[in-house]
Amino acid sequence: MNLKLSTPKGEENATFSIPYDLNTRTKKVNGHCVITDNEIRIYLDDDITEKYPLDYFDEYICEQLIGCSMLVGRKGDQRKFLCAFTQTYFIRYAELCKILEFYKRTGELFADDDQSEPSCTKCGLPLDSETICPFCAKKSEVFLKLIKRAKPYKWLFALALLCTILTEVIWIIQPRLQRTIIDDFVIPRNKDLHSFLIICGMLVGIILLAWIFEVVNMKASFKMALSIGKDLRQEVFAKVQKLSMSSVSKRTTGGLIRRVSNDAMKLQEFISQNGKELIVRLFSVTMLSILIFVMNPKLALFVLAPIPIVIFFNVKLFNVMSIRYGRVWRMSTRHSTVLHDTLNGIRVVKSYGTEKYAIDQHEKASMNWAKSIRNADIVWLLTMPFSRYILSIGSYLVLLIGGSMVLDQTLTLGQLVQYTTYVAMIYGPLGWLIELPRILADTTVSVSRVFEILDEDTDVADSENALDIDIKGDITFDDVYFGYKVYNPVLKGISCEIKQGEMIGIVGHSGVGKSTMINLILRLYDCTQGRILIDGIDIRNLSQDSLRTQVGVVLQETFLFDGSVYDNIRYAKEDSSFEEIISAAKIANAHDFIVKLPEGYNTRVGDKGYSLSGGERQRIAIARAILHDPKILILDEATASLDTQTERNIQEALSRLIEGRTTIAIAHRLSTLSNADKLIVLDKGRLAEMGPHEELMRNGGVYYKLVMAQRQTTKMKEVID
Amino acid sequence: MNINLENEIFELDELHILDPEKLNFSLEESGFLTLDDGEQVYSKVNLTRLLPFKTKTEYISVSYEDDEEQFHEIGVIRDINELQGEQFEIADNFLKFKYYMPEITRIYSIRDNMRGYIFVKVDTNAGKKTLCIRDWYSNFKLISPTELYVVDADGNKYTCPDIRSLDKKSKNNIDMFV
Repeated sequence: MNLKLSTPKGEENATFSIPYDLNTRTKKVNGHCVITDNEIRIYLDDDITEKYPLDYFDEYICEQLIGCSMLVGRKGDQRKFLCAFTQTYFIRYAELCKILEFYKRTGELFADDDQSEPSCTKCGLPLDSETICPFCAKKSEVFLKLIKRAKPYKWLFALALLCTILTEVIWIIQPRLQRTIIDDFVIPRNKDLHSFLIICGMLVGIILLAWIFEVVNMKASFKMALSIGKDLRQEVFAKVQKLSMSSVSKRTTGGLIRRVSNDAMKLQEFISQNGKELIVRLFSVTMLSILIFVMNPKLALFVLAPIPIVIFFNVKLFNVMSIRYGRVWRMSTRHSTVLHDTLNGIRVVKSYGTEKYAIDQHEKASMNWAKSIRNADIVWLLTMPFSRYILSIGSYLVLLIGGSMVLDQTLTLGQLVQYTTYVAMIYGPLGWLIELPRILADTTVSVSRVFEILDEDTDVADSENALDIDIKGDITFDDVYFGYKVYNPVLKGISCEIKQGEMIGIVGHSGVGKSTMINLILRLYDCTQGRILIDGIDIRNLSQDSLRTQVGVVLQETFLFDGSVYDNIRYAKEDSSFEEIISAAKIANAHDFIVKLPEGYNTRVGDKGYSLSGGERQRIAIARAILHDPKILILDEATASLDTQTERNIQEALSRLIEGRTTIAIAHRLSTLSNADKLIVLDKGRLAEMGPHEELMRNGGVYYKLVMAQRQTTKMKEVID
Repeated sequence: MNINLENEIFELDELHILDPEKLNFSLEESGFLTLDDGEQVYSKVNLTRLLPFKTKTEYISVSYEDDEEQFHEIGVIRDINELQGEQFEIADNFLKFKYYMPEITRIYSIRDNMRGYIFVKVDTNAGKKTLCIRDWYSNFKLISPTELYVVDADGNKYTCPDIRSLDKKSKNNIDMFV
């Protein structure tokens, strides 16, 4: 990271120099924070206002506020404000603090400037992980990507296209035959029946041929459309599965569902229908334009003159329409989110009696959606007649001028009929092309939403040579730092070793980073500094599939999928036999209650398993974990929401499950962890203590205080009860 | 005995509204505040808007962190406008600094490249700028029928407290994005 963005005038010893742009009165200022070999210097404009030896402060803190941040030095209990800056510089100051912390520890002022910061050569915007500058990228590029999706079906597409073009050619030939009938048979009253029947036969023949081409075209188009739709849906869904937790959680479920289903469907329709139509219609317009030009250039000019005006008008309209359809997309996504949220929380809605509120919320979202469609379409409906009118002026002129040419006998009636038929035919595809801005605008929104997902880089990705190993169960945390916001660490410098087969408890106050440690072992996130080793191998070098198939998790909130008890237990291992499933259920103390269910293992658990009690759901989750047969087992508050009796039953099941496996358990009730081999005690994101219960109690440290505080609370509860 | 304990717990959990007349804030070197409420002096005091999107001066939580970095709330000020002259200045300046949010006064253009970003060229009370906004449907939005709230790719926040006060072109520009 570049930590020497600019230096104040006259400062020649800067190792690092970062600008700051704010004072505590929220006024914009122009200053620099400069680090030399031995000093930190604060400049305002080009004058030093403060300077301190680098080791004057015990710690340098980059304090992130809501709208800005500040650099603070801590010396003992005292803190000194050094400078304030907008969030633009936050990451650089946070990096600087890490360098200064390293300096405090080692005396070395060292910067890891390996990471280059690529920027767009055209506009200078930092590219981060993007390969194309998001500012300079053209809208049309996303469409090209979409068209490339049709590549596997190019032969089907070519067949459909060929058939459509042939059909169009037939419709172009037809007026020529009509002209022959009028000019050679009707007007001269020609009674050559044989020739007349041949021409009529040709007319019927080409109509029949057109019908055959149309059928082939429809079949090929339909097949291609379904395949592309299926591929897109599958690809978007698979990508969502592969995205990291942080990427998924920044989007709503309703929004993601919409992208997988509606948006993919819209693209399917576009490729199969409009994509091909666009080629065909452009072909038709070109062919017919050439024809009418060859036939009569003067008349052709009258027909084609309004086209550039309409094209110009439509390009402008596209920009307006795409913004309006973007709004439609947002409103419909908001509607999906409200719908998904309310139906998902239907138990809460019913138990609080807030049905009316839920209905109102839905009505509001639904109304906004309808309003956005109306707003988008109104522009279209108001401007469309104008475009059509401009376009059709040509046909009136052709009739006026062509009619007088027939009267002057410079044009035959048959030629005029043929000409006006072609003119009428050219208005078909032109009319369709006028509709294009609306279709394109609507599709563009879906294309961008779908490709936003497909093009997103997975921030937790398998390395190139990711290993598949049989995990034994040794886990090492080696100086691990992690923050959900990169520079706001939740875990700081965690180092510990967990041996194969050990039962480890993680304890600490809420928000101290217990679940975060587990998320890191599961590699739902990658640590920002340090490493986590499993059997001596950095988990970033293990394939995620290999890791997660050998780590089992039982969470406080059990999620059961809609399906039977059998399906839900089997979820952990699809190829397991029924007997294995029963054995797992027995070990989990679940078999007995399943037997009492009227439909046994075939009982449907209902949406999220709500037809079962909390304890029953938990036991199914444990059976699932047993069947999974993990080498490492994670219990995250697995019994926290259960009553004492149920907890006892489940503890019994869990004790069978953890036998011989490396187990990491989080429990708020410290008594549940008393049988752990070792306890990891976290405090303010750091590892405060580690050891067996008795040893930690003797030490009288953080764990001792936690236990005492909990005992006190229990006693108070007993008194109140 | 039981009743006393219940009362004790109740008092601990009770919302403590602070009397503005007794509060005496001063700005520390650390950038945070010191508070003397007449009974105790607290250092590294932090003020937090409990309803930042609704009101800038009402319901301000006053808290501090002890040596163990444990959070403690001293109480809540109903409205800092009730603080005495200079006291209001100190609290208000601190809040304005903590919630630094330039106000958008004009929106020249919005460019959407259909890649999840929008680029908004704006004039703010802190100068002209082109804001790069990622995931714009969640970072460029109305938080009330009239207030626009914007978070750019760096995490800087901007606001337009009343979009009705913008000129016609600016209103047209944002109309389709919110």
